[in-house]
Amino acid sequence: MKQIVPLHINGDIHEVAIEPGATLLRVLREHLGLIGTKRGCDSGGCGCCTVHLDGKAVYSCMTFALQVAGRKITTIEGLSPDGRLNRLQDAFVEAGAVQCGYCTCGMIMAAQQLLDVTQTPTEEEIRRAIAGNLCRCTGYHKIVAAIKLASAP
Amino acid sequence: MAKFDVVGHSVRRPDAYDKVTGGRGFPVNVTLPGMLHARMLRSPYAHARIRSINASAAEKLAGVKAVLTPGDVPQKKFSPLFFMPTESNELIRDLVLLSENIRYAGQPVAAVAASTPDIAEAALDLIDVDYEELTAVFDPEEAMQPGAPRISPTAANNIARTPTLSRGDLEAGFREADEIFEGTYCTQRVHTCYMEPRVCVVDSDMQGNLTVYASVQHIFGLREKLAYVLSRPESGIKVVKSPYIGGGFGSKLDLVYIEPLAALLSLKTRRPVRMEHTRYEDFITNARHPMKVYLKTGVKKDGTFTARYAKTIVDTGAYATHGPEVIMVHAVFSFFSAYRCPHQKWDGVVVYTNNMLGGAFRGYGAPQGCWAVESQIDEICHGLKMDPLEFRLKNAHHEGDAHPFLKQFTLASYRLADCINQGAERIGWKNRSRTPSGAGTKRRGIGVACHPLWVSGCVGLPDIYEHSGAIVKLNRDGTADLATATIDMGTGQNTTLCQIAAEELGIAAESVRMSYADTDTVPFDAPSHASRVTYSAGNAVKAAAGEARRRLLQVAGEMLEADAADLEVRKGIVQVKGSPDVNLTVAEVVSRAESPLVQMTAAGPKVTTIKEKGSIIGVSSMAPPGNPSPCAAEFVEVEVDTETGAVKVLRVVYAHDIGRVINPAAAQGQVEGGVQQGIGYALMEHLQFDPGTGACVTGDFLDYKMPTAVEMPAEIESIFIESDEPTGPFGAKGLSEVCLTIPAPAIANAIFNAVGVRVRDLPITPEKILAGLGKL
Repeated sequence: MKQIVPLHINGDIHEVAIEPGATLLRVLREHLGLIGTKRGCDSGGCGCCTVHLDGKAVYSCMTFALQVAGRKITTIEGLSPDGRLNRLQDAFVEAGAVQCGYCTCGMIMAAQQLLDVTQTPTEEEIRRAIAGNLCRCTGYHKIVAAIKLASAP
Repeated sequence: MAKFDVVGHSVRRPDAYDKVTGGRGFPVNVTLPGMLHARMLRSPYAHARIRSINASAAEKLAGVKAVLTPGDVPQKKFSPLFFMPTESNELIRDLVLLSENIRYAGQPVAAVAASTPDIAEAALDLIDVDYEELTAVFDPEEAMQPGAPRISPTAANNIARTPTLSRGDLEAGFREADEIFEGTYCTQRVHTCYMEPRVCVVDSDMQGNLTVYASVQHIFGLREKLAYVLSRPESGIKVVKSPYIGGGFGSKLDLVYIEPLAALLSLKTRRPVRMEHTRYEDFITNARHPMKVYLKTGVKKDGTFTARYAKTIVDTGAYATHGPEVIMVHAVFSFFSAYRCPHQKWDGVVVYTNNMLGGAFRGYGAPQGCWAVESQIDEICHGLKMDPLEFRLKNAHHEGDAHPFLKQFTLASYRLADCINQGAERIGWKNRSRTPSGAGTKRRGIGVACHPLWVSGCVGLPDIYEHSGAIVKLNRDGTADLATATIDMGTGQNTTLCQIAAEELGIAAESVRMSYADTDTVPFDAPSHASRVTYSAGNAVKAAAGEARRRLLQVAGEMLEADAADLEVRKGIVQVKGSPDVNLTVAEVVSRAESPLVQMTAAGPKVTTIKEKGSIIGVSSMAPPGNPSPCAAEFVEVEVDTETGAVKVLRVVYAHDIGRVINPAAAQGQVEGGVQQGIGYALMEHLQFDPGTGACVTGDFLDYKMPTAVEMPAEIESIFIESDEPTGPFGAKGLSEVCLTIPAPAIANAIFNAVGVRVRDLPITPEKILAGLGKL
């Protein structure tokens, strides 16, 4: 049986009819058209689906949508609501950290959480923060550089 | 060096804004009204014959719209390779879309389209398949033995191909040798791990015309193979180019089951059908071929090669799709023609097994060969007490030499020596210790390997598509639209091809936009593969832009009452050479060409002439004039923990000759990603299968380990030796693949330098290090 629950996403409240087994990833993409959150593996292994739940980075493929009713969810679309890149997004463009781009949204969400809690992270802190997000194009080199650029005072 | 306004600058990627805000352009995002969702049923057995299939219960499930079993699909044999024409009959073996003969665990046996993915998945459980299980064989050398289970009805001893190459007199060469070295080098099966799953959406109209969206590296190849398998005209199939795809690295160069099955399901239901792989399905669809390479090499005391023999055994998997082709590229470019040597021979064996299919993966046979050759060179140098750099320089080709394999070409730009020398300088090769350094249980070492010979596309190689096309159209605001069939899978073509067009047109990089394309509207292009796009598509884009520029100057000449030959265009301004005050903007010229209005001049109104009329456009379709070789040397420093066997790569210095660098940041990105894939190949990646059932046991990212940000070294330094390739667009050559062939042998050689352990089979796990140290 589907249940109608309120999902608080990027400042909006969506009343969504959800099947109990539906993941947050699936609801974001298939019910709400928030396609910036990507499915890479659907098994908690790649991080392409990373979103923020009450300010913490989580894999949306490993989160049931019913679990997060009423809690604050931020997706990549929530980082630049007016279409202007935030500092981290801008740094990704500037540093050449984007190649195929499929991991990029999840990577930015993981890195954004780090920057939300740590103003000037060390290289090691940056690498640990994105260790749950796979990228196959960049060797992470310019991604780390972009996060450093965004955290520079 | 010539001065360029656009080429050579790290301009921002035009698609980066979209990708950091949500990446809407991926094929995985395509949805159409009324779309159905399809899933495949796969065999649990590695070798079996289907006695019967009963899908009636599945068909009755509410929401199921169509089911396909082997009896419902064409039993036409085909080759799935996009980059070779279907008429290459040699490649058409015994692969059919859905077969009653099962040759690997996971081979699809049926497909279901339903109104939701969940219903399609549920319907799979209702399909009743009666299998007769057969004995399977997974080891290629066992598969070749008499009495082994027969996999292909047409291949005796399961051998699909036994090619050879020979030059000189091998035995005489070995007699001339002062020393002879032998070794066998093995590589494992690894996956490309593109991040965007294989996905397609196929729509059909009431006349049966198909429109296809898919995550592939070649839209024309997909059209051709679909038309062939379905016996439909190519003109009835339109493949739409996605603005970009989420990685490919070679894996998306084949027709896989989803596209033809979705097409048949769409034709059956008259509705759009979407099919997407699970990650497990991605892992078992295609992978880099495991190879076993035996090398026997004769050298003089001074390090000169006198004779080289190699034998390669390739596991092609259940079907000979890529195996017979990949073995040739492997042999020619990573062994036979890599270095100078008068007497050489190579034997290859391509073997069927009940393993998953081999596929293309960046380097296409070269990583396996490079692993063997470059590892053995280190062993030879250790034996001869010779510097590995000096040894390679002694045997390397030189700039200006005839191309060692494509005899019609010369190595017009070839700076391997500069790569070696400049890389050595930067890593501090002179201070490299012959004895291990480090403290406690940690030992450090430095290693080197090279990739001496590779391609920029496929000109000169038999039966492989190699031409490109482009349309360049100028707009009235002074910008240009570029349309090509070239797929940007993350390598940056959307940027570099726009830069090439902009440089040729004399406008800013951001004034050129990569525009829409599909197989109906743009000229044919070969796939994005074989390190070809910058070189080959770049030449075509330059030609189209050049044609548009000639037309631009012709119209401007009419407007300025000057000879077009006396005009030049730079930075968006057309001006008379030597008289920059006499000028027009590109926007003014294009507007004039497309405007019905009378031109107002200081002398009064001027009626438009017929010569001025018509959109300013350039079109090209051409093969590139050569196949220049990029080359590279890589140096790595590793730290080996003698207590745990763990290897950490501390530093990488990479030196490449790729001709003129069009976009340095994009080129660095290619190298850094290549190093990551190379480190994964060297140290951790390994697709593994249950030895009893043949089922993949590393079908997700928790079990298939690839390098994360934590495993990657902080120091990766790129050096680009800028040669000027005379046949390249603004002097450019290819890059992508040489990046990842070298890390594995360089790391192995560094490990030997650190702890004296030589590992000859990949991946280099801690257990192998500890065994080499006598601790296991």
